[in-house]
Amino acid sequence: MTIGGTLQRQRGLTLGVLIVPSVFFLLLLNAYPVVYAAIQSLHQGSLIATGPFVGLANFTDVLTQASFWHAAGFTLVFTLVGVFGSWLVGLGFALVLNRYVPAGGVFKVLLLLPWVVPIVVSSTSWNWLVATPSSPLPQLWHLLGWGTPLFLADPTLAAVMVCVFKVWVSFPFMMMMTSSALASVDGTVYEAAAMDGAGRVQQFRHITMPLIARSTYISWILMTIFCVNDFPTIYLLTGGGPVDATTSLVVLAYRTVFQNFQTGPGVAIAFLMTAALVIVSVVLFRQIRKSAVE
Amino acid sequence: MTHAAFRNPALTRRGFLGFAGGTAAALALSACTGSGPGGSANAIKFWDMPWGTTSYTAAAQKLTQAYKPTGSDLKATYQEIQWNNFTQTFASAVASKTGPAVSTGGGFQAFQYAQQGAIAYADDLLDTFKKNGIYDDFLPGVVEPFKMKDGYAAVPTQLDMRVWWYRKSILDEVGVELPTTWDEYLAAGKKLAAKGYYAFGTGAGAGNNIGAHSMIVMMINNGGGLFNAAGELDCVTDRNIEAMDFVKELVAAKIVDPGALAYTTDNLTSQWKSKKIAMGISTAGLNNDLGDTTGDVLVAQPMAGPHGDKGTLQFLNNIMMYTNTPSQASSEAFLTYWFQNYKTLWQQKVIPALPVLKSITELPEFQQSVQQAEVVKTWQPIGKTYAAQGTQLTPLLAAIDAGQALSDFTQTMLAGKTDSKTALASLETAIKALKS
Repeated sequence: MTIGGTLQRQRGLTLGVLIVPSVFFLLLLNAYPVVYAAIQSLHQGSLIATGPFVGLANFTDVLTQASFWHAAGFTLVFTLVGVFGSWLVGLGFALVLNRYVPAGGVFKVLLLLPWVVPIVVSSTSWNWLVATPSSPLPQLWHLLGWGTPLFLADPTLAAVMVCVFKVWVSFPFMMMMTSSALASVDGTVYEAAAMDGAGRVQQFRHITMPLIARSTYISWILMTIFCVNDFPTIYLLTGGGPVDATTSLVVLAYRTVFQNFQTGPGVAIAFLMTAALVIVSVVLFRQIRKSAVE
Repeated sequence: MTHAAFRNPALTRRGFLGFAGGTAAALALSACTGSGPGGSANAIKFWDMPWGTTSYTAAAQKLTQAYKPTGSDLKATYQEIQWNNFTQTFASAVASKTGPAVSTGGGFQAFQYAQQGAIAYADDLLDTFKKNGIYDDFLPGVVEPFKMKDGYAAVPTQLDMRVWWYRKSILDEVGVELPTTWDEYLAAGKKLAAKGYYAFGTGAGAGNNIGAHSMIVMMINNGGGLFNAAGELDCVTDRNIEAMDFVKELVAAKIVDPGALAYTTDNLTSQWKSKKIAMGISTAGLNNDLGDTTGDVLVAQPMAGPHGDKGTLQFLNNIMMYTNTPSQASSEAFLTYWFQNYKTLWQQKVIPALPVLKSITELPEFQQSVQQAEVVKTWQPIGKTYAAQGTQLTPLLAAIDAGQALSDFTQTMLAGKTDSKTALASLETAIKALKS
């Protein structure tokens, strides 16, 4: 064996040993909670004790409950509106700000505020805006002769309100993602397309969209994860009500564990959510690969 | 990094790895050691909730620090626990055996932990209280609800009640007398509604349980409740149906604000402050919460239901001891000191809750709070717990009080679209699911 080979082995060994603490803490911080949660989902326990083993009973119980499917339905709607609503608004602003706009930087900062402001503050502001008949928005409705809507007390309006709030909170993120993607598109491509007679719509459809597709898919994946896991937006504005109209899966999981004190079923809901998220993410990642190949 | 770095005699590979291993071992060992069960070797841990303003915490801490144990008893340390996520705080601490020896907490927390074997029963402490006179000083009926099969899970420290309030100026303006029966109340409510005021001020939005408590108050006021006298779950009774039909009638007559089912605590307070609400069920400190200094927001007298019943919902905030303590004798000695001296919290007026000791209710400082003194005088004697019409509190009540079943039921009733029997049957089914 050569000296160089020995040194190489020693170096490899050293680096291998040095990485052990990081791997250990990663496992401790990530794998341990997941494994412990998996154990909890298979037991009928409480917040302080694991309880008796019940196998997959928590999963079957949860999957046969109407409240789970109702929450799953709302989660789907909330996620679809949250992802595509915020993407459309974000894309619109990004396209506008991609052109020369006087004081564009200031606008960008202002448009970022919904994303930057703590959710507790913004949800309190939205509550103030819509909650009671004397709140500004119902008053405006009343002045316009459209009656006095119960924005948070009517199940349908409450669901709409929560979705609109989510779009408002999330569009700046989409705007930033899209803006950075648009900035990387070479302007000469548009010049060439214009010389070939392509109109604005054709340029947007056949140049802009394909060139920002990769970034778009990534932003969709991230926003899907944000929406499915979004607890504070819903809980602070409506608490999941009225009568469960805005209860998403993450809110249902929280209530099941920390309000009904049913740890096993609550964790089972969380695991089912995770499984759904993984499936959606895998599908979207495949799209990213496809868009890269194309 | 180059190979040269590893050839540096000042930092050999073996030396570095040895140092790293030693550090990791030291960290692991330090993580395994804690402050010990319920405190250190020379003190027990007392965890207290913020029952008042910051002045309360300072006063309670001072009271704890003033404790001078005798003999081999340990002194106590004070730790404030925030209400936000307090369930998680206690659960993780108790599960990891780093929790307190003594604590206040959620109204039904002691029963939950007793079920898990984490509570040290207070029977011996109560025997001590019987000898030193504290036991006889308790208001009637406040200790017995804590008796479980194996002993007393906790000892009551303060009282929280749901009572009827009214805004005198609105009743005077509309020319309505304070009602004494449900019939009179309905008539008064209609007159108030005609003038744009709500006579059933309530809220059942995110984090607001006044609405849920109001539903239980109406049931108890009509001789009903979630449980029967034997302590069995029994929601679908004639009395409860009648009470909820009455609530539906209030909703239909616009005596209840149509938006109330989504009102948070802040929204409800705002409605009271902006004088939209003429009457309503609330906590015993509503006038203070609204900052009313003009004597316009007053406690009403209990109303009689259609069968002549009177009653309301009361919560017995309590103090509990844990099995995870460095010294059970020290836990009990500290609590004896606490009960003998905690009247200072009312004397300093740092606690808005109602006292459970008669001697404290008689203090001039407490009597100066005229409305709260009135609550103790007229409402406490007819107060019943969540266990009504039974008497024994259980762990299930924690899930009922905090849980979604009652919240959904309340929002359903305040929406006024579902018949009472169906709504009560759904509530009973949902509570049964909690039991399982």
